[in-house]
Amino acid sequence: MSLIEYAANGVVYSSIIVLGSIGLSLIYSIAGFANFAHGDTLTVGAYAALVSFGVVGGVGFSVLGLPMGFFLALLVGIAVAAVVAIVTEKLVYEPLDIGSIGLLITSIGVAFVYRALIQMGFGADAIRYDVGAVRPIEALLPYGIRLTQHDVAIVISAAVLVTGLHVLLQHTDLGRKMRAMADNPDLARASGIRTYRIKLWSWIIGAGLAGAGGVFLGLFNQLLPRMGFNLLLVIFAAVILGGIGSVYGAMLGGFLIGMVVQLTPILSDVGIPIGIEYANAVAFLIMVAVLLVRPTGIAGEAVGGEGV
Amino acid sequence: MSVLSDPRGYWDELTATERGVTAALGLVVFGLVLALLTGALGASYFLFLFGLAGMYALLSLGLNSQWGFTGLINFSVAAFFGLGAYGAALMTAGNSPIAGGLNPVVGLLVGLVLAAVVAVAIGIPTLRLRADYLAIATLGLAEVIRLIVLNERQWTNGSQGLRGIPTFFEDWPVLGTFTEVMPAIEVELVPGSPVVFGTSFWQQSLNVALLLIFLGSAFLILRRAQRSPWGRLLRTIRSDEDLAKALGKNTYSYKMQSFVLGSVIMALAGVFYAHLNLFVNPGDLDPITTFYVWVAVILGGSGSNRGALLGGFVVVAIREGSRFVGDIAWLPVGSAPLRLLAIGLLIILVMRFRPQGILPPQRELIWPSAVDNAAPSRPDRGVRDAKGGGSDD
Repeated sequence: MSLIEYAANGVVYSSIIVLGSIGLSLIYSIAGFANFAHGDTLTVGAYAALVSFGVVGGVGFSVLGLPMGFFLALLVGIAVAAVVAIVTEKLVYEPLDIGSIGLLITSIGVAFVYRALIQMGFGADAIRYDVGAVRPIEALLPYGIRLTQHDVAIVISAAVLVTGLHVLLQHTDLGRKMRAMADNPDLARASGIRTYRIKLWSWIIGAGLAGAGGVFLGLFNQLLPRMGFNLLLVIFAAVILGGIGSVYGAMLGGFLIGMVVQLTPILSDVGIPIGIEYANAVAFLIMVAVLLVRPTGIAGEAVGGEGV
Repeated sequence: MSVLSDPRGYWDELTATERGVTAALGLVVFGLVLALLTGALGASYFLFLFGLAGMYALLSLGLNSQWGFTGLINFSVAAFFGLGAYGAALMTAGNSPIAGGLNPVVGLLVGLVLAAVVAVAIGIPTLRLRADYLAIATLGLAEVIRLIVLNERQWTNGSQGLRGIPTFFEDWPVLGTFTEVMPAIEVELVPGSPVVFGTSFWQQSLNVALLLIFLGSAFLILRRAQRSPWGRLLRTIRSDEDLAKALGKNTYSYKMQSFVLGSVIMALAGVFYAHLNLFVNPGDLDPITTFYVWVAVILGGSGSNRGALLGGFVVVAIREGSRFVGDIAWLPVGSAPLRLLAIGLLIILVMRFRPQGILPPQRELIWPSAVDNAAPSRPDRGVRDAKGGGSDD
């Protein structure tokens, strides 16, 4: 395979990582802890879309090889992931009276509960969305790029969602409040922002985007109860590379880490003996290196002692 | 005050929870003995379970010395466990690609040294990090180790795993032939269901003896270390690292010592596992082991070695219990998700209702002679039950 083909795959994979990392970064900065259940929120979204797609089926006309019913299922996946996150926040995190480390440990428990319930409902075997297989787009083949219409749909949908988030953050009241709170929660509260409400909104937005990421991951590969947990560390690597607390940093970090993971095979092509099986390991090592050299990441600002 | 010389006084000194735990343990032990004697539970299987529980207890002791005492969030428990197991297996296993067939003592030393070296290598970059970054970094590095073990077939045999590992005492003078020499004893308490203590029973007894040696020495070393000034300093770092720094202590160096000590104890559990299971494969490095051990530590009570022991046994009860429930035919759930659900719920419930764990450290951190039994534990007036910062009424 050529560099350009790896890069094309990288763009698709990056779109998924970006969707996951925005939510993780948002929750890290606004709710104040590293949410280890975020990966399994992706899984929740993916399986919710599976169920709803099974109900609505292939209704409507087809766009990019996907029936309208699939986009409906995508919305359901986003909504269910957001609702599950809100319920978890109300039921589990809110009554807790422990620091961020305690919340981190609790979120591992939450991750296990999500995964266990999904595995009980759907079994441990891989499932695919019933959208039919598509061939690579003919027009791109002469350039050495093998992309399916589904891949294009993933990239475009992710771009739409990310643009929507950008508009929300920059041009709405809610977005300004969220940025203020991510920057300095105490100051935000002192300025009269209802921080609790903003926190709930960031759970909704973060988990919703994660749900969308999960649906696309299921479309890109397949659905597995472990799919989200396996991706969690890659998403963490992206968030840390981009700089915790910065949504735009998370987008950049997600893009870079996604590309690194998909471009790892290049290394053995040029003679460095690191095979594709170490793709994730490369991402984790980058993460550790970033933590050492520049813990604030690419887009991070001042070095904060406590909280970000 | 000893249990044997003054049981009444010992009982009176326990807190309400300690009494509850003691009573519950007594009931469980009574039930197990009853099941053993009636043949409902195979004796060698019981000892195998005991070995497994002790192994988790050993892992919990290791994690407790990192998290409970120094406050290091180490999410690479499974990696150090795996390094210990692979260190032992690579030296002793029949199909080891490096150096099979060596004496298990060599394997023990190699496993521990390997873990210590890797602990230093992981500690150098990560121990300066903030607590939550440390968690993420160690989880990532553990995954890197797992990928290396899985993929470097020329060293580790990859996903095939290593088999043909001898039992620990195989080459020893008397113990090597112990299992063949010992007669099979048959006990029939309940008519019709005799209980046989045969070769496998004696083999498991040897394993349990090995475990008790490992567990006992780890427990005693840790207790001694943690009551020493060194241990006090670690607890200072846990509660306020800046304070320890202000006192002129090199906290990084102390954190490293604690990290290496804990990791070596985890590797010890791995060595035991290799000789208990006689087979290791990369699946043993699965991160789920890490979280089992975390459950054991936070359930038992962070910073409490007794709690870590208790937690280890509870985790094995969950593992085996879920297998038992999963086998019930009319329940439409497998044992794997059930176990995951139980572990997840347990983490959430403990953090919600008892974040200090079941057996939080009481007096075990203090030299017994330093305790003034005559002094009242608290003034009889002027003390609020709630912590400071509460309401003013």
